[in-house]
Amino acid sequence: MPFNSYPYIAFLIFAVGAFLLLEAYFPRARRPYLLLLSYLFYAWWRTDFILLLVGSTIVNYTIGSEITRRHAKGWSTHVLLLAGLAFNLGLISLFKYDDLFVGTANALFGTGFALPHFFLPLAISFFTFEQISYLVDASQGKTRLYSFLDYALFVAFFPHLIAGPIVRYNDLIPQFHESRDTQTRDTDIAAGATLFTIGLAKKTLIADNLAPFADAIFGSAQHGVALGPGDAWLGTLFFAFQIYFDFSAYTDMALGSACMFGIRLPFNFNSPYKAASIIEFWRRWHISLSTFLRDYLYISLGGNRQGSVRRYVNLMITMLLGGLWHGANWTFMLWGGLHGTYLVINHAWRNVAGRFGWRPPENLAWASHAASVLITFAATTFAWVVFRSPDLASAGNVMRGLVGGGSSHLVSFSPLAAGALVVLFAVVWFAPNSMEILWAYRPALEPPRGTSQVRDIGRWRWQPSRRGAIAYGALCVGAMLALSNLSPFIYFQF
Amino acid sequence: MSGRAYLGWFLGVVVTAVVAMVAFNAFADAYLLSTPKGKSLQTVSGFERVLKPAWLDSIKPDTVFAGSSRMREGFDPTLLDPALHLHSFDYGLSSISPYEARRLIQDSAAQPSVRAIFVSMDAFASTAAVARAGSGFDELRLAVTASGQPTPRRSLWLFTTRYLSGGALGMHALSLYLLAQLKSGQPASDRPDLFTAYSRMTQTGFRKDLAFRYGRQMAWSAPARREFNLALDALCNTGVRAYLFFPPDHFAMIARYMANNADGLLSFKHEVLHDVQRHNVRCRGKVSLFDFLTLNDLTRETIGPAGSNSYIDLIHFRPPIGVRLARRMLGNNDLGIDLTAAHDPDNEIDRLKNDVAAWRAAHPEIQPSGVAPRPEADKED
Repeated sequence: MPFNSYPYIAFLIFAVGAFLLLEAYFPRARRPYLLLLSYLFYAWWRTDFILLLVGSTIVNYTIGSEITRRHAKGWSTHVLLLAGLAFNLGLISLFKYDDLFVGTANALFGTGFALPHFFLPLAISFFTFEQISYLVDASQGKTRLYSFLDYALFVAFFPHLIAGPIVRYNDLIPQFHESRDTQTRDTDIAAGATLFTIGLAKKTLIADNLAPFADAIFGSAQHGVALGPGDAWLGTLFFAFQIYFDFSAYTDMALGSACMFGIRLPFNFNSPYKAASIIEFWRRWHISLSTFLRDYLYISLGGNRQGSVRRYVNLMITMLLGGLWHGANWTFMLWGGLHGTYLVINHAWRNVAGRFGWRPPENLAWASHAASVLITFAATTFAWVVFRSPDLASAGNVMRGLVGGGSSHLVSFSPLAAGALVVLFAVVWFAPNSMEILWAYRPALEPPRGTSQVRDIGRWRWQPSRRGAIAYGALCVGAMLALSNLSPFIYFQF
Repeated sequence: MSGRAYLGWFLGVVVTAVVAMVAFNAFADAYLLSTPKGKSLQTVSGFERVLKPAWLDSIKPDTVFAGSSRMREGFDPTLLDPALHLHSFDYGLSSISPYEARRLIQDSAAQPSVRAIFVSMDAFASTAAVARAGSGFDELRLAVTASGQPTPRRSLWLFTTRYLSGGALGMHALSLYLLAQLKSGQPASDRPDLFTAYSRMTQTGFRKDLAFRYGRQMAWSAPARREFNLALDALCNTGVRAYLFFPPDHFAMIARYMANNADGLLSFKHEVLHDVQRHNVRCRGKVSLFDFLTLNDLTRETIGPAGSNSYIDLIHFRPPIGVRLARRMLGNNDLGIDLTAAHDPDNEIDRLKNDVAAWRAAHPEIQPSGVAPRPEADKED
């Protein structure tokens, strides 16, 4: 069930309530209970795909356990690891990329294979990646052997199951065994409920109100309407803000939900539009995915250990595959390619600037930073056009509109639209984010090394108070009032 | 403050607000659906995408009037039901897209109580390539999915729509306010200031509206036609009788359609006729097609100093006209053309060219050549 729905809110209240009882009177039942809840949560969409989730869990646990045992004895684990990777990549290829591969083969070689059109199981990209990370960690001796129950709960724990953050075995399983005192429990629930409320408000009050405009404009582009500059710019900017608030909302709601059970999920989102470079953008946007790609793909390819050229090639490969991870469409790969290109340029620029000691003068540091933020925003927003477009022709249509190529007037650039954009820019560039607001209570795991850290916002930090409770309660009610239009999270499709 | 006390206040605010909202919405919903005056609310703008799917489910009508704001304004069950012995529902939506029109027809056809559907064809008249642009249109509330399967967990979505949504809260509050403004026994038609479907186009309004809609066309695109055929498919194997019609816009407006895109309008009519004829050959659920978008007693009305008897503006007709149109389609032959029964329907459609020439000759003052075309800005039709 989607986080932004009444059924989920009712489910969460029931789940937390019963968990508190178990925690107090029967703590051994907490993990089986959470696993059962998680499977119920997944079954809300399609009951039959539970079998796929459970089957994938059993196979990976069996292989991972054997890898751990063999590694402890100093035996080779390569064959088992390859078998595990083949199983996971085969599964995701079968269900997610079947049509893309067959369709591309038909187009390239003139074959006439029928497209399989398999139904895409929800969350397959996420639980597959998480299990791949487990197998790789096990082959490197980084994992302990836990019970199947622990492992199954690591894979299926419902707050992260559908759209992340991508969790690591070693980060999550030990937390299932921790107990908390009454005071910590109360604070966890208070902080979790507050974080969930912030996420719900971002989703229903901001992202969902931008979606119709972005959808109408990109839909028109898909149907061949020659977009005018006003439409193209508004559609592009509205989508840039929609995906920002949509994904940020999802992350807050996932982390808030987990926090109520005393579980901290990975830090995943840290005001990415404040980034002053593409390198920094990827340290702030979907951090659990970017660190996964860094640790399991980029470094495995050799990272930066074999010279600059090889590093840039590795970056491009990583970003192309990272793009393709988002969906079975070449537009996602192109989006990844754009970001790969940006990263290569960014790294090359840093090298050159470092070699020649280029730095902005002290008195222009602020202006230089502002220009960098603006350029980074423009680059990522340009890439969103490709990401959002269903095909390359639509993306080209929108891009032509951005430079004045068409003449449509689907959306008028009203004072309301202008005011909304000003407010949105102010929020994403200057307002504290939800992690900064709640960081005193650590609602997430510490940011991974090499990513952006959490800024101290002083008196804006959240702390339990009557005024805060009433304000966040009112925000929660306001956000719930907008729940009648159920709009799925963008990242649910991945 | 402790976390527990914070939670107490937080949950206290949320629970109190939710309980109050559910109680208010439940009271308002029950009252509005039980009071006879409540039916006129179906002609008021704002309820369409919020409550109408839930109302359709509760009212269980035998007849549905679906389509654009022409339908919403023009068909008031308060007048229709006693006059034609119906139990009807006004399923009109402002700014409807062809996609939404198809979905409303699918929804209506899937209701077991529904025996007849009336649809104004302007809902499918969209030259925009986007056949699927509808803001805030939530399909989970409809009886069937876009592929025709029953909507999963629909009763849950209807419950939350009715009792737990901000839209319902706003619309229920507006409804109670509007009904409270009516004195005991006073019909909605006495308060055109509140129930604007009963207002009248004035001479000034006529001129302004003509300038406002000067560039408007009535034609359709290939995606819109696809939506129409999907709508016909939804009716194919049902026992539902469908009555489609080209709406009786004022002839000053029809003349503008012809001036702006005569081929588009005539092709639109011919293609709809062709699709309906093909449908009737292969399907059990028959469709009638009427053309009121002609020069007739209604559309040629001259607006007097007291305002129009028939129109709110150039394209929206008043509810008494809705009764007349429904009566005509159900058999009283006094207006327009039944294209599905006509001997040479294509010729009947093409007569519009002569009608326009005749009307222009008779009303040179209504088509002043000096009026500059202006871009269409309204979406309310």
